[in-house]
Amino acid sequence: MIDSILFLEYMKKKNYSLAIGVPCSYFNNLLIELERSSEILYVPATREDEAIGIASGYYFGGEKSFVIMQNSGLGNIGDALTSLAQLYGIPMLIFVSYRGLKEDDDFPEHSIMGEITENLLESMKIPFSVLEEEGWQKSLSLLIDKSIKKNQPVCLLIKKGVFG
Amino acid sequence: MKGAEVISLFSEILQGDEMIVSSNGNVSRQAFHLLNKPHIYLRGSMGLPLSVGLGLSLSQPENKVIVITGDGNFLMGLGSLTTIAHFSPENLRIIILDNEVYATTGGQPTVSSTINYKLLMEGSGVENVVSLTSINNEKEVKKSLVKLLKQEGLQMLHIKVERDDIKLANIDWHPTEITKKFHFGHKIHFKSS
Repeated sequence: MIDSILFLEYMKKKNYSLAIGVPCSYFNNLLIELERSSEILYVPATREDEAIGIASGYYFGGEKSFVIMQNSGLGNIGDALTSLAQLYGIPMLIFVSYRGLKEDDDFPEHSIMGEITENLLESMKIPFSVLEEEGWQKSLSLLIDKSIKKNQPVCLLIKKGVFG
Repeated sequence: MKGAEVISLFSEILQGDEMIVSSNGNVSRQAFHLLNKPHIYLRGSMGLPLSVGLGLSLSQPENKVIVITGDGNFLMGLGSLTTIAHFSPENLRIIILDNEVYATTGGQPTVSSTINYKLLMEGSGVENVVSLTSINNEKEVKKSLVKLLKQEGLQMLHIKVERDDIKLANIDWHPTEITKKFHFGHKIHFKSS
């Protein structure tokens, strides 16, 4: 399990000062710590595309933010990515809970999106990786560097239990 | 007044250091051609001008951020009204140019004609709201635009405008250029990490 406090300290060190999101139970601990954090402001968005819009505006003003959502939210952000974040060259990190895998057998609402999540990200040309607990700092760092170097949004898929 | 005429009038009132976010379609074209430069001209992402304005206002607390949007765009991202009202950034201003149609795509109606904007915005938690519901009152529009800039705190201004708007040429900056020119023009620098 990635310790949420350590994770937020890491993000702060990387100059991320804002998080915007739509919750998922997979991010419960992280969201509790975000609400407590005095260094990273958390904005609950009404929809996932709004979160991408806020993150984009934040970057236009010279600051970095990250976005949190379920993979169901990927269905809501197609236009926000392709006609804003990707088009305007905006680096941002999007943490997406990977619902619809084996452990979600009782949640048919996630099954189709779970199946197509990686294909969807590939189709939208969003670089992504599945975040593993071991060596998370390194994989995060690689993706952050890619996002900044190429001025583009990148995505981290988060499986159940990774954030506790 | 037509939407473009309100934007022209606004250009006479602006101090010059404001940061403006305009909604895609006619409004962005008008902002691009009729206001000083550079600003954030959204070319797509229908429904997101308020959210972009909110993000910008949070990262630029020392600067005034003004969102200019049409009614169709505003309604598509209506949830952002509530998010903005909740965080209520002191430096953010929202102007809604309401012609009750999707003018850029040919004038198809929106549902704007039945909305009481003042109630909608106040009910969402915005304290400073002005809604001008009669068209062609240039004096009133000017007074409200001046007040919008001068008065402190989050403010929203809704203006009914004529359906028949002025069509201008497309924006000749690619979106990546818009980002770069905005950062350069407003001297925005990034922290290294």
